[in-house]
Amino acid sequence: MFHVKKGIFVKLKHLAPSAALLAVGALTLSACGGASATGEDVSGEGDSGLAGTITGIGASSQKAAMDAWTADFVSANSGVTVNYSPDGSGAGREQFLGGNAQFAGSDAHLDEDEAEAAKEVCGPEGAFEFPVYVSPIAVAFNLEGVDSLNLSPETIAKIFKGEISNWNDEAIKADNPDAELPDLPITAVHRADDSGTTENFVEYLKEAAGDLWDAEVDGNFPKEYGGEAAQGTDGVVQTVSDTEGAIGYADASAVGSLGQAKVKVGEDFVELSPEAAAKVVDASPKVEGRSEGDLAFDLARDTTESGAYPIVLVSYHVVCSTYQDQNTVDLIKAWEKFVVSEEGQQSAAKSAGSAPLSPELRGQIETVIDSIKVAG
Amino acid sequence: MLTTSDTTPSRSRSLTSKQLPKATPWVIAVASIIVAAGISFLGLGRFSITVTAVLAGALNAIAVFAISAAYEGRRKAVDRVATTVVSSTFVLACVPLISLLWLTVSKGGAALDLNLLSRTMLGMKGILDQQYVAGEAGLAGGFYHAIVGTVLITLAACVISIPVGVLAAIYLVEYAGKNKLGKAITFLVDVMTGIPSIVAGLFAFALFSTIAELVMPAAAGVAKTGFTAAVALSVLMIPIVVRNTEEILRLVPMDLREASYALGVPKWKTIVKIVLPTSVSGILSGVTIAIARVIGETAPIMVTAGFAKTLNWNLFSGWMSTLPTYIYDSQLRPVSPGDAAIASSERAWAAALVLVALVMILNLLARVIAKVLAPKAGR
Repeated sequence: MFHVKKGIFVKLKHLAPSAALLAVGALTLSACGGASATGEDVSGEGDSGLAGTITGIGASSQKAAMDAWTADFVSANSGVTVNYSPDGSGAGREQFLGGNAQFAGSDAHLDEDEAEAAKEVCGPEGAFEFPVYVSPIAVAFNLEGVDSLNLSPETIAKIFKGEISNWNDEAIKADNPDAELPDLPITAVHRADDSGTTENFVEYLKEAAGDLWDAEVDGNFPKEYGGEAAQGTDGVVQTVSDTEGAIGYADASAVGSLGQAKVKVGEDFVELSPEAAAKVVDASPKVEGRSEGDLAFDLARDTTESGAYPIVLVSYHVVCSTYQDQNTVDLIKAWEKFVVSEEGQQSAAKSAGSAPLSPELRGQIETVIDSIKVAG
Repeated sequence: MLTTSDTTPSRSRSLTSKQLPKATPWVIAVASIIVAAGISFLGLGRFSITVTAVLAGALNAIAVFAISAAYEGRRKAVDRVATTVVSSTFVLACVPLISLLWLTVSKGGAALDLNLLSRTMLGMKGILDQQYVAGEAGLAGGFYHAIVGTVLITLAACVISIPVGVLAAIYLVEYAGKNKLGKAITFLVDVMTGIPSIVAGLFAFALFSTIAELVMPAAAGVAKTGFTAAVALSVLMIPIVVRNTEEILRLVPMDLREASYALGVPKWKTIVKIVLPTSVSGILSGVTIAIARVIGETAPIMVTAGFAKTLNWNLFSGWMSTLPTYIYDSQLRPVSPGDAAIASSERAWAAALVLVALVMILNLLARVIAKVLAPKAGR
C-alpha cells in the first residue's frame, strides 16, 4: 500500500514542472511585443514628468470620448494612468462625494444637496463642474423622396404621442410647404430601455413644446404614448432604417445616412451641426447660487437663439476645488486642461462623434481649472 | 419457462415474436425531421429551425408509438415512447451548449489573431476602430492585460481559498465529528454556497474601503485593486473547495486510518501521509472545478477591480481587467459608437473564445489530474 502512495508523489513531481512550464509559457508567449493598442512601444514617447494615477467614475455616455482623451493624454504623459469606470452618472457623483474617485463624469450637474456635500470632500469652495462632452441627438426619419424635413417641437411631441399619425398631416405640411409628403402612416420609434438619450429628448419636448408633453421626464419613454420600441441606439437606427415612414431619435454619431429633421428654434429651422449643438450651451444660463468655479448650466431647451440646436446631451466633469497634495493638483489640472483643449475636443469629436465646445466656453473652463489648488 | 412454453405457446410467442428492426427508431426520427421541415416550409413559406424542431419532436413520439403499437403491442410501444422522450430531452439539453460553443468559436475564431493576445487597450480610441471598419488599418487593441489580470486574480484567489478550504474540510471530517462547531461550519458553508457573486464583490470592496480609509484617509480610490477582487473571488471559492474536499475525504476508508493508528502513527501524520495522498486526485479536481467556476465571474470584478485599459502586474495597487469584465465593457460600451462599434464587438468575441478555452482546459486538466493521481485499487 505504501508503494502506491510513493507512486502518487512521484507522479506529482513529474507533473508539477510541466504544469508550471505551461503556465509560464502561456504568459510569456504574449509578453513579447509592445503592450499597447497598436503594438507600438509608447513608453517614454512623451515624458512630461507627470506621474500617478487619476481615477474617475461616472456616466457611460462619455465613455467613448473618455477613451479618446485617455489614449491621447497617456501618450503625451507616459507616467500617468487614467482609470475611468462607466458605472453611471448617479454612481459617479456618489463615489466622488464618498472620496472614492478624483473626478466624476455626470450627465446632470450636482443638485443643491450634493453641492453642499461636496464641501466636505473638497474644502470650503466645494466642487467645480464644467461641461466637457456635448452630444447632439438627431431626430432621424426614413421617407423616400424627402431629404429635408422641418419640424417644430409641438409637431415632434404630437408625433411621439401618436396624435399625428400620417405624414400628410396639416401640421407637418404647414412647416414644409415645399416637400412632397406622402400619404403614409408614421411609425414613431423610441428606446425600449432606460437611457440618457430618452431623458434628454423628453426633457426637450417638455420644455419646448409646453403643456403638450404631459409625461414625467424620465429615462424610460412613457409607455402610454405607444409607438414602436427598440433596444439600444443601434436598435432605434436599425428599425428606422428598415421601416418606410419611420421617425426616431438617436445619438447623432449613430444615425449614419438617415435623414435628420431640422428643428424649429425661434422663427428658424436649425439643422443639426456640432457648432449648433455647442451654441445651446453658450445660450444657457448658469445655475444660480453656486460658487464662481461651478459652471453648471440650466440647459435652455426653449432657447430662441438663432442657430442653436437644442436637443443635446451635455455631460460634465466634476472635480474638487482643492486636493490634498501638489502632485494630484498637477495631474488633475493637466488632465482636465487636455480634455477641454481644442485638441482634446477635436479628438473626441472624431472618435465619439461629439460636438466640440465653443472657444469662449473653453476659455471660461480653463480659468476654473487654473484655480484648482492644494488644500490648506 | 421451457415447460410453460410447451403448454402455452401463445405466451412464449409474445416474448420472442415481432420486434421492429434495430434501425427503426433512427429511420422514424429522420423521417419525422424531414416531414417537419416540409410542414414548416409549406406552412410558413420558409425554413424555421424552431418550428421544425418542435414539430419533429412531437411527430417522432407519435410515429414511434403508432408504429410500435401496431406491430409490437402496447407494452413495447410505451417503452419505446419513454426511450424517445428521454433521448429527445437529452438532445434538447445539448442544444444551448452546442449553439453557445458554435457561436463563440465561429465569431471569436473569426476575430481572434495573435495581435489581440499581445496588445492592451493603452492608447485605444474610436478613430482606430473607424479606420479598421473602413478597411484602412488592422484591428487595433487587444486583451493581453485582461489575460494577465484573469490569471493573477485567479491565482491569488487560489492561494487564499485552497489552504482555508482544504484545512476546513480536514477539520470537518477528521476532527469535528458531530460537535457543534462542525455543524455550525457546515451550515455556514451551505449559506456561503448560495451567496450571489455581486454580494461577495460588495463585501470585499466595503472591507477594503474601510481599511483604506483608516490607513490612507487622503488617497482616493485605492480600495479597487486586483487583490480586493481576489478576496471577493475567494469568498465564492472557499465553500466550493470545502464541499468538494469534504466529500472526497469522507470516501477514504476508515480501515486505512485504523491501520495507521495501529502502527502507532500519530493523527496528524496519518492525515498527511495516509488520508491526503489517498484523496489528492479528488481534492485537486475539486479545486480545478472551483477555479473554473470563479474565473468567469464578472460582477464582483467590476465592483472590486474596475476597468483597466493597461497592463498591470501589481495585485496590490491600481485597477485590473479580467476577461469577463473586458467582454462586458467592450460589448456594452464600444470604443467607437455607431458603425464602428462592430470592432469592439469583435474583440469581445475573441476574448470570449479565449475565456471559454481557458475554462475548458481547466476542466480537462481536472480530468487528467484525477486520472493520473488516482490510487490504484489493490496491488
